[in-house]
Amino acid sequence: MLKKMIATAAISAALVLPAFASPEVGKEAPAFTARTADGKTIDLKSLRGKIVVLEWTNHECPYVRMHYNANNMQSTQKDATGQGVVWLQIISSPPGKQGFVEGLEAIKVNTDRKAVPTHTVLDPDGKVGRLYAAQTTPHMYVIDAKGTLVYKGGIDSIPSSRPDSLPKAVNYVRETLAALAANKPVPNPSTRPYGCTIHYGS
Amino acid sequence: MKSVRALSVAIAAALTLCGAVLPLRAASIAETKHVTARLIADTKAVEPGSTITVAVNKRILAKWHTYWQNPGDAGMATTIAWKLPDGASAGEIQWPAPKRLMVGPVANYGYEDEVTLLTQIKVPDNIRAGDNFPIQAVVDWLVCEEICIPEQVTLDLSLPVVAKGMSAGISTREIESARAKLPTENAWPFSASVANNKIELVAASGEIKSADIASAQFFASEWGVIKHAADQPLRIENGKLSLSLEPYEAKLPKSLRGVLVVSERNGGATAYAVEAPLTGTLSVAQTPSTPMRAVSDVGLLTALLFAFLGGIILNLMPCVFPVLSIKVLSLVNHSRMGYRQRHMHGLAYTGGVLACFAIFAAIVLAFKAGGAELGWGFQFQSPLFVMLLAYLMFAVGLSQSGVISFGGSLSRLGAYGGNDGYGMSFLAGGLAAVVATPCTAPFMATALGFAVSQPAPILLAIFVALGLGLALPYLVLCYFPALLRFLPRPGPWMERLKQALAFPMYATAIWLIWVLAQQAGADAVAAALAGMLLIAFAAWLLSSAGKRWRLANYGAAAATLLLAIALGFIFVKDAEAPQQTASSNPRYEAFTPTRLDDLRAQNRPVFVNLTAAWCITCLVNERVALERANVISAFEAANIAYLKGDWTHRDPAITAMLAKFGRNGVPLYVFYPAGASSEPVVLPQILTPDIVLREIGQTKSARIQN
Repeated sequence: MLKKMIATAAISAALVLPAFASPEVGKEAPAFTARTADGKTIDLKSLRGKIVVLEWTNHECPYVRMHYNANNMQSTQKDATGQGVVWLQIISSPPGKQGFVEGLEAIKVNTDRKAVPTHTVLDPDGKVGRLYAAQTTPHMYVIDAKGTLVYKGGIDSIPSSRPDSLPKAVNYVRETLAALAANKPVPNPSTRPYGCTIHYGS
Repeated sequence: MKSVRALSVAIAAALTLCGAVLPLRAASIAETKHVTARLIADTKAVEPGSTITVAVNKRILAKWHTYWQNPGDAGMATTIAWKLPDGASAGEIQWPAPKRLMVGPVANYGYEDEVTLLTQIKVPDNIRAGDNFPIQAVVDWLVCEEICIPEQVTLDLSLPVVAKGMSAGISTREIESARAKLPTENAWPFSASVANNKIELVAASGEIKSADIASAQFFASEWGVIKHAADQPLRIENGKLSLSLEPYEAKLPKSLRGVLVVSERNGGATAYAVEAPLTGTLSVAQTPSTPMRAVSDVGLLTALLFAFLGGIILNLMPCVFPVLSIKVLSLVNHSRMGYRQRHMHGLAYTGGVLACFAIFAAIVLAFKAGGAELGWGFQFQSPLFVMLLAYLMFAVGLSQSGVISFGGSLSRLGAYGGNDGYGMSFLAGGLAAVVATPCTAPFMATALGFAVSQPAPILLAIFVALGLGLALPYLVLCYFPALLRFLPRPGPWMERLKQALAFPMYATAIWLIWVLAQQAGADAVAAALAGMLLIAFAAWLLSSAGKRWRLANYGAAAATLLLAIALGFIFVKDAEAPQQTASSNPRYEAFTPTRLDDLRAQNRPVFVNLTAAWCITCLVNERVALERANVISAFEAANIAYLKGDWTHRDPAITAMLAKFGRNGVPLYVFYPAGASSEPVVLPQILTPDIVLREIGQTKSARIQN
């Protein structure tokens, strides 16, 4: 009995620990399939050929709210998807924690704040979040058309929950998408993410 | 009057000393849902010219926390904006050691329950006793438990001003215990080094015993230097404590700064301020998130095609053209040579080119494996190589001029004397490849930038494609001699042209000596010129060798040549890369990544020119475009900062900058329009004043059009 428990613990530790290694920029972005708010299943691999933005979010987090209240996140989404970018919003809050939503509520939240991601991915067991080592909301990732991770980090260059920082900040997602469009190297491929801690379920 | 004033000051001081009489003056309090914050001073009154300590004390709701200067994976450091009377100034926050707070896999650095942040305030001289000294602190923090709330409070404190010597310090529990928790400075000698992709932090006090120490934890002052959540294996032996830290997302700093918290077995804990120069580098392959190199969406096929095209164009570059001409001339001269022989010469030449490129590729790979990075033209970064090449050019020139006229010498580099001539064709191919390196042709930059980011077989393939391109024109002429008909018929003009082509060779030698002068200084130049004298002497010995003394003359010539080369080994040493300063030329400053960032942060447009003394393309571009008066005045008119990076010597910062733009060699011209987030514009590798003006004109078109 005890042996079995130790073995189980060891195996789950082995499964959990390496899974939280941060994916490397310049390497293939980790593959995942996940459920979307409208009940479909999305497979990252099927999006090859398109640039994909991942946005970890928690609609109650003050940082996320600042970026939505100032219309910063929505305008970034709109401009990106307008260029054919696939924008995946990902919610990794487990049930009972801040930011957890069921599909219908996720859609309503987005409608209310006029958010326009291509899809909203529900990740209550934190599978995708751990795979990408997402730590904060917002935490942003950009994957190029070949499936290579080209950016990870913050939404912009000034960690702050006050909208007066926005005009001075460099929006790293816009910067990365512009570099990809111009076929240039990504100027800041890895930056500091900031925001609320994601509380993964156990 | 005076006494009245003194009395009022004394009364004010007495009242203040009573404390309880004016509680709101002693400490201002603000409460939020999660934190009670107070502003406290270590004195009841201030004297002109003194320095006082003030504290922001936070009592935090159970289970909630606020953050240290580096908040770790998430969170946000507390900030204090001070509003003080004119002339007063506040120092940085003195942070007590934090705790690591794990939230699942996320590590935050912060404080629970209570924390006191100390700040020193300098009181100006020009305040008068009897006045008040108001202090206001606007404090911003993020407080988190399950959820995070950003909060802000404004705290006010007003202290009476008393005459010098009249103030009374007070001791408060908060300030005393905060002082006790500050990291101890200079207690242990620290050192830090990188090995096997770990940062090793060592405290060598000589008296650290494992029996006393329960655990140790290092907190880096800046985000991303170490993996916040990683274990830090501890070793204690021979009185030394060492912690193994995992590097994280940020660039390795020059110096490791932070706090080491050592928990003793008796339950106590001590914090030490750490500041140690960080030695060693991460090996490239495992650097966490190597900056995107050659994100160039160039596919393998495109890269191969570009390399091939670039190779063909290289034939026309000033470095290669004379060598190729010599070969083509001799082909004309032997137009009646058999098919088979001609083909063999073509193949031998191609073989020479390819062998040389394969050697370059092997060297680049070897350095890559060792963690260093080399770029196109790297061999020119060795002064000894530059000198030997100058010798070679000089010797080839001499043979073209007809000074050396004996069989089998360099004069036959272009000759076809039967089968042994194939070896010469092979050597000529190698020579063409070597002299091609200071030139970068269009297309090549993209291909090579791609190549260095690829695994060995692909890198090799791209170099081979480049070599094939370089060898192609000659190979084609060997296989299709009909093409030679486009050239004039053989005749005496050929001898004249051959001799004339000696002069580009001498010119190349002069240029190489100039490069050498920049790399290794005047002594090396003297040694190299003496070496060339010896070569000329050896040539004379060889050409004047009669039958009788032939052997002796050959021996003497060989000895002279060896002496010439030995001179190089003795006198030509790589001088320390000269500190590039702006003083020599006020038009530009030396390129460093920090300077670039600074200038961009100042909202100035910046033009970056990465160049090398041995890069002919670079020098030509500077002469014909960048140093033209209209370009210079356009730079001045638009207030463009001009940064020049000299890659004549190896310089990792410049190699990294090249890599950032998917390049592997100079020249590289980048224009950053004003604004910290502006998109850099990469200019072509061959510049004209028009191109430069057009590219920089984008930021100030109005002014230029005027």
